[in-house]
Amino acid sequence: MHGSTHPSHLIPGQTIGDRLLERGVSRRDFIAFCRNTAILLGLGSAAGPRIARALQAVRRPTVIWLELQECTGCVESILRSGDPTIGNLLLDVISLDYSDTLMAAAGHQAEQAKDASMKANMGKYVLVVTGSVPLEENGIYTMIAGRTAKSILEEAAEGAAAIVALGACAHWGSVQAARPNPTGAVGVRDIIKNRPILTIAGCPPVPEVITASLVHYLTFGKLPEADGEGRPLFAYGARIHDQCPRRGHFDAGQFVHHFDDAGARQGWCLYEVGCKGPQTFSPCPIFMWNEKTSWPIGAGHPCIGCTEPHFWDTMSPFYHRLPGVAGYGIERDIDRIGATLAGLTVAGIATHATLTAVQKARRRRELPVIQSPPGGGGMPPQREEV
Amino acid sequence: MTSTSHPIGPGGPAPGPASFLGRGIPRPIGEFRWVYLWGLPLRAMHWIAAISVLVLVVTGLYIGNPYFVGGIEPGLIMTKFRFAHYLAAVCLATTALVRVYWLFAGNRFERLKALFPVRVRDIKNLFRMVKFYLMMEKDKAPHYLGHNPLQQLNYTLVFVVAALEVLTGFIMFGLAWPTGWIFKATSWLVPWFGGIQNVRIIHHSITWFFLIFIPAHIYLSFRADVIEGGGTVSSIVTGGRFFEADEVYEDEDA
Repeated sequence: MHGSTHPSHLIPGQTIGDRLLERGVSRRDFIAFCRNTAILLGLGSAAGPRIARALQAVRRPTVIWLELQECTGCVESILRSGDPTIGNLLLDVISLDYSDTLMAAAGHQAEQAKDASMKANMGKYVLVVTGSVPLEENGIYTMIAGRTAKSILEEAAEGAAAIVALGACAHWGSVQAARPNPTGAVGVRDIIKNRPILTIAGCPPVPEVITASLVHYLTFGKLPEADGEGRPLFAYGARIHDQCPRRGHFDAGQFVHHFDDAGARQGWCLYEVGCKGPQTFSPCPIFMWNEKTSWPIGAGHPCIGCTEPHFWDTMSPFYHRLPGVAGYGIERDIDRIGATLAGLTVAGIATHATLTAVQKARRRRELPVIQSPPGGGGMPPQREEV
Repeated sequence: MTSTSHPIGPGGPAPGPASFLGRGIPRPIGEFRWVYLWGLPLRAMHWIAAISVLVLVVTGLYIGNPYFVGGIEPGLIMTKFRFAHYLAAVCLATTALVRVYWLFAGNRFERLKALFPVRVRDIKNLFRMVKFYLMMEKDKAPHYLGHNPLQQLNYTLVFVVAALEVLTGFIMFGLAWPTGWIFKATSWLVPWFGGIQNVRIIHHSITWFFLIFIPAHIYLSFRADVIEGGGTVSSIVTGGRFFEADEVYEDEDA
C-alpha cells in the first residue's frame, strides 16, 4: 500500500494466501486457523475449507484503526487474542496501515501514511474504531494531530467499506459517557448514522470476536448478522447466565453471599454478590481471555455487564443485584423500603381496625336498647311477618 | 325460627342477666334482598389470580434474594422456585387476558365502565368515601351495590400494576430464549425502560406493592362485612350479598 509505515506491506494486490506463504505459515496451521474461526462463527468446522479458499484468494484488506477517547484496553485485549495470535492476525491477515498504538511511525509521518492509505483504498478499507467521540465544547477533549475526534471519524468513515466499533467506548461511550458525562462522549453510531456498524461490545471485548468478524467479512464480503445493538449474533446471541459454568450452582440455590465465605471458596454462583450474567449477552464463558486462561466469573468476580449499553450507570452498583433507588442510595434498597411500607400498612390496619371498633361500640351505645320481653333474656324479639 | 317454635319457650332462652353481647343486638328492620354481583367466571378469575399472586410473591422474593442457602444436596431449589414462579405467571397472565375479555362480556358490575367513576356524582362520592375511611363522616358513606368509586380506582390501579408486573416479568423471561417470540415481542421495550436493570427493579418493587395491597384488601373486605353486615366477604365465593331493600343505591340503574 502506498505510504504504509510497515515495509512488509509494500506489495500491492497481494492475497492473504501469498502473504501467509511468504511468512512461512504452514498449510496445516492455516487450515487449523480457518477451522477454528469457522467454529467461532457458529458455522461448524465444515465451513473451514470455504473460509480457507476465500482467504487464500482475497486481497489483504487495508485496516485503518482509529483510537479516539479511550484507554487502549481494547488494543491490549486484542494483542492477547489466542487463536489467531497477533502475529497472524495483524501482520498476516490484515494490512494495518494506521494504529496509534501499533504503528512505528509518529507525528506528521503517521498522519501522511493514513491519508495516503485512505486515498489509495477509497471505498475499500475496513475502519476499526476504538474510543468514544467527545462532543462538548466542540469536541476539544480529544484532539489528534490538531483535529477533533469527530472530524477524524467522519472523514475516515466516508471512504470505509465497513465500520467496526470495537469496545464499549466506540459502542456507546463507556466510562467517560457515564453520568454526568462531562465531555459529552458518544459512540460511533451516534455520529455515523444510516450505515451498518458492527459493534464488538465489551470493556474490553473478547479478542476472538473481532478476528472472527473480520474473517467473516473477508470470506462472505459482508459483516456477520447482528442484533439491535449491532453486535454479531454468533458471539452475542446468548446470555452469560445461560452459558455459565457456575449455572449449576444457581439452579441448586448455592450462592456466594460474601467474597470470603465458604461458597466463594467452593466456586458457587455469584448472583447474590451482584453478578449481571442474567442480563448480559456475551460469549465470555466460551471464548474467554488470554488463550482461554480465564474470564471474570471464572476468576470469582461477578459479571458487571460490560457488553450492554450504559452499563456503568445501569448495571451499577456492581456488587448488588438491583440498582439503587434514585435519591436514596444503595444502603436503603428497595427491600428495606418495601418492608417498611408493608410494616406501616399493617400498623395502619391495626390502628384503623381499633378505631373502627371504638366507633362501632360508640354507635351501638347510641342505639336504642331493645327491651327484652319479660322472661326473654337476651334474645331479641322476632319479626312478626315471619 | 319464630318465637312460638322456640324449644325453650316464647321469647327465647330462659331468663337471666342480660349479657354484654346480647344486649345491643338490634332487631332486623325492614326487608333485605340478595343481589347477584359477581359471575362465576369473575370469581374463578379472582381466586386463580389470588393463588397465583401468592405463589409469585413467595417464589419471587426467593428468586430476587435467595434467602436460604442450598445444602449439600440442594435438589435444584432455584429451578423449582423458578418453575413455580413461571407457572403461576402464566396462570396470572392468562387470567388477565380472560379478564380483559370479561371487561366487555361481563355483567354491569364487571364491565369496563365499572372500572372508573364516570358520573359527576361518583367523583363527588369518591371524596366522601375517602372521608368515610378516615372516619370523618361516620354514617354518610355513599351506598353502592358494586364497587364504590374509591374501590373502582383501587382495583383499576391493581390491574395496571399487575399488567406492568406481567410485562416486566416476560421481558426478563424472554432473555433466556433470545431467538424466541417472547424476546422478539418484548426486547424492544427495554431501552424504553432505560435498561434491563430498571425493568428488574420495577418488577421487584411491584412485589412490595402486592405485599401492601393484599393485607389492606383483606382488612377492608372484612371491615365492610363487619360494618354493613351484608356478607361482603362471601360475595366473592357465592357471587352475591344482602342489601337493605328500602335503601336506594348509587349504582342501582347504572
